[in-house]
Amino acid sequence: MSKYFSNIFEAVSTLLTGMGITWRHMMNIRKDNVTLQYPEERWPRPERDIGFDIDDYNVIRSRLQVDIDDCIGCMKCERACPVQCIKIVTTKSGAKGEDLPDINHTGVTSNGTKKALIVSRYDIDMTECCYCNLCTYPCPEECIYMTGGPNSHKHPIDYEFSQYDRNDLIYKFAKDVDEEKLSKYFPRKEETKA
Amino acid sequence: MGVVHGDLMTLNIGPQHPSTHGVLRLKVKTDGEIISEVEPIIGYLHRCFEKHCENVSYEQVIPYTDRCDYIAAMNNNFGYAVTVEELMEIKVPERVEYIRVIVAELNRIASHLLALGAYGLDVGAFTPFLYMFRDRERILDLFETLCGARLLYNYIWVGGVSHDLPPGFIDAVYSFLDYFEPKIEEYNELLTYNKIFIERTGDVGVMPPEVAVSYGVTGPNLRGSGVKWDIRKNEPYSIYDKFDFDIPVGAGKMGTVGDCWDRYYVRMVEMKESVKITRQALKGIPTGDVHQALPKKIRPPQGSIYKRTESPRGDLAYYIVSDGSPIPYRLKMRSPAFTALSVLGEISQGWMMSDVLVILGSLDIVLGEIDR
Amino acid sequence: MTVDQLINWLPFGTDWPVITFLTAVIICALPVFLFIAVYALVAIYGEVKISSFMADKVGPMGQGVGFHAGKWGLLQPVADALKLILKEDIIPAAADKKLFIMAPFVVFIGAFISFAALPFGQNTIIADMNIGIFYILAVGSLSVIGIILAGWSSNNKWSLYGGMRSVAQIVSYEIPAGLSIISIIMLTGTLSMQGINEFQQGTIWGILPNWIIFNNPFSFIAFFIFFISGVAECNRTPFDIPEAESELVAGAFTEYSGMRYAFFFLSEYAEMFVVSGVSVTAFLGGWNSPISGFFNSPGWGVFWFMGKTLSLVFVMIWFRWTFPRLRVDQLMSICWKVFLPFSLLNIFGVGIWILITG
Repeated sequence: MSKYFSNIFEAVSTLLTGMGITWRHMMNIRKDNVTLQYPEERWPRPERDIGFDIDDYNVIRSRLQVDIDDCIGCMKCERACPVQCIKIVTTKSGAKGEDLPDINHTGVTSNGTKKALIVSRYDIDMTECCYCNLCTYPCPEECIYMTGGPNSHKHPIDYEFSQYDRNDLIYKFAKDVDEEKLSKYFPRKEETKA
Repeated sequence: MGVVHGDLMTLNIGPQHPSTHGVLRLKVKTDGEIISEVEPIIGYLHRCFEKHCENVSYEQVIPYTDRCDYIAAMNNNFGYAVTVEELMEIKVPERVEYIRVIVAELNRIASHLLALGAYGLDVGAFTPFLYMFRDRERILDLFETLCGARLLYNYIWVGGVSHDLPPGFIDAVYSFLDYFEPKIEEYNELLTYNKIFIERTGDVGVMPPEVAVSYGVTGPNLRGSGVKWDIRKNEPYSIYDKFDFDIPVGAGKMGTVGDCWDRYYVRMVEMKESVKITRQALKGIPTGDVHQALPKKIRPPQGSIYKRTESPRGDLAYYIVSDGSPIPYRLKMRSPAFTALSVLGEISQGWMMSDVLVILGSLDIVLGEIDR
Repeated sequence: MTVDQLINWLPFGTDWPVITFLTAVIICALPVFLFIAVYALVAIYGEVKISSFMADKVGPMGQGVGFHAGKWGLLQPVADALKLILKEDIIPAAADKKLFIMAPFVVFIGAFISFAALPFGQNTIIADMNIGIFYILAVGSLSVIGIILAGWSSNNKWSLYGGMRSVAQIVSYEIPAGLSIISIIMLTGTLSMQGINEFQQGTIWGILPNWIIFNNPFSFIAFFIFFISGVAECNRTPFDIPEAESELVAGAFTEYSGMRYAFFFLSEYAEMFVVSGVSVTAFLGGWNSPISGFFNSPGWGVFWFMGKTLSLVFVMIWFRWTFPRLRVDQLMSICWKVFLPFSLLNIFGVGIWILITG
């Protein structure tokens, strides 16, 4: 019998404690609120007060971006990708390190490396990307990176990163190269065609 | 009046159901509200993890391990890295070990927060779930500044970690721990000691220690049954032997040893222990280069290894067979959630319809890890 | 204004009694329906906001450029209602069509006609029946028929579970609710809602308002028994096992969508109001002002009644966002093993109290 009453007492007291906690939270909503009003406020924001600014980020995972002028076509990123979402096609340039204006090709990267290859296709399928960041480490020219965060000076963050069509998420970084003009620099291919 | 013999009704819980924690299907035979048979049917999330791993190099496996137990990806990375390091006999720098312990314990807290919050939701309490997600979010924020990712980190690498701690990270973790510790008390008051919650979980779904051991259940589920077994203590890996922490075990405080409440409470106490470990690691962290021991090329010698680590769900083990090439010959993952799910049919017999979901929630399964 | 007054006042008089009666009923029913609709919008907004505040978030907020959800999300319930009205109305192929269509209206009617006997103020009552409180208890349990119709006709195992649970629950909780009302009837000696209100005028020892809850210790307990049984009858957490979204998906309402679902929703909120209104009338002085002798005009009466009722509705919302859900058998054992003995004891106690105090 005493267990019966102590049960009732326990129930009432613990339920009241719980109600007290929710009441306290309701009353302190102005202080405790954690909601971010998304279209107006965007993370990261110093207001969230975890002690970090966007500059303090070590690294960021977001959309991959390639500075194609710096790309030497070494394919290290393609090999590093665990899901094979990077597709690169290169052709050998006849003239190493020379600008080829008719196909919009720069001969020397910003680091001073002379390019021996023309990158005619550089597609990243962001629907397949697993954001593991493994492709960015081996790049010798640091031309593939994820936008925003510490890389914001190279490319601002693509915050929404949304498209209406799935195909629009396949990012094509290579210069739009005319096949005919390209074939000039790759004589053997022309021969086999003929 | 004789006993009425009715037919049993077969009911499919899932694959789309609010309380199956992913895409799990439970084939349940019920007699009214009483359950007579539960058969979990898995495989809806199968992604050929092990076969994938036989085709990618050792460092490319790490993003795949993230996606197994996506709630505690750091711990998965950790287990894999430790296994390969032992196979290659790499000695990682002290700082790396400390960083690994810090992130693994923070991730353990995050994982338990999700488990407990979702458990509250299973029982019908909505608000604790949101409180716990709010705090989990802060841990994810910390991880985001650390490695850019919020959920699937690819942070712990073989022989090191991908990045050193950002400036101010240690202070941020300290301030998080200071913020978080009182919150545990609040959760206890709001949910753990709530009489309705105790009624729903105490004495329900009792898993005796013998059953737990014979089914191979590990982690908080095993400790909830009163068995003091924790890989971090019993078979220390990394630098867990340097830290002082307790292993909470279920004591049947609100019912029988091994009931749902015990499993729940073990997780609650484990969060406190994780806070303790994190504090010690933060205090002792040395300086150094985190990339120092990264191997140029991961090409382990021929041989095989089986190494277990303690993930938030229990005994997470990797079995790796190497043929000397840069690609694993065979990689097997021992999933703690898989064994935990296997015991469901045994312990939920004779309970009511609502209890099955409560018992399932208390086992804290992650379908990504079960189906792999 | 009651229906009887309206019938006398209507010009057709006694020549066409049926037409007069129907006109009077429709004149009364329309404002009640409008009131329920508006109150439901307010209550949904309140529930959204209160639940958000309790969970450290702010709920719907209309901010920035464009027409989001109005200032502070005030238009959110309107948007919700519009969405429910515009949604496709699906009737499952295997469902029992007639019953499936009927169920939401049966549930709603149960809640709707209870409003006829709720005393909003000294003169604001549709029908001051001499069996008012009995009438509300009787028609309030109509909704259970609707819920079991919904559960059965959906031809869905989850719905059937929900319907079955709900029947057991609501029928059981009628008993402690009815028994605690009996102790009130013993005190007041009347079944009429206005009669109960009039009993509660004045003060106790010049300080406390003469509300029944303060009248004696037994009625104090009776209030809690009645209110919590009322929460159970509304299928609100911690007693929401017929709906139980984490177990039964949506229980009896799983197959419903669009306007039919909206009717279930509407009647849930209407029922919350009725239960709170009856608790207020029976225990908390109804339209009597808490400071006896002041603010006691008919206008203030409506204010006091609405104020007290809405605070009880708030308490129900507060319950919902704090507590976990009970299991079916625990629900029953609370009803039969705790509430029932206590309410029987209450009747006994009140009887002795009346004997002693005369």
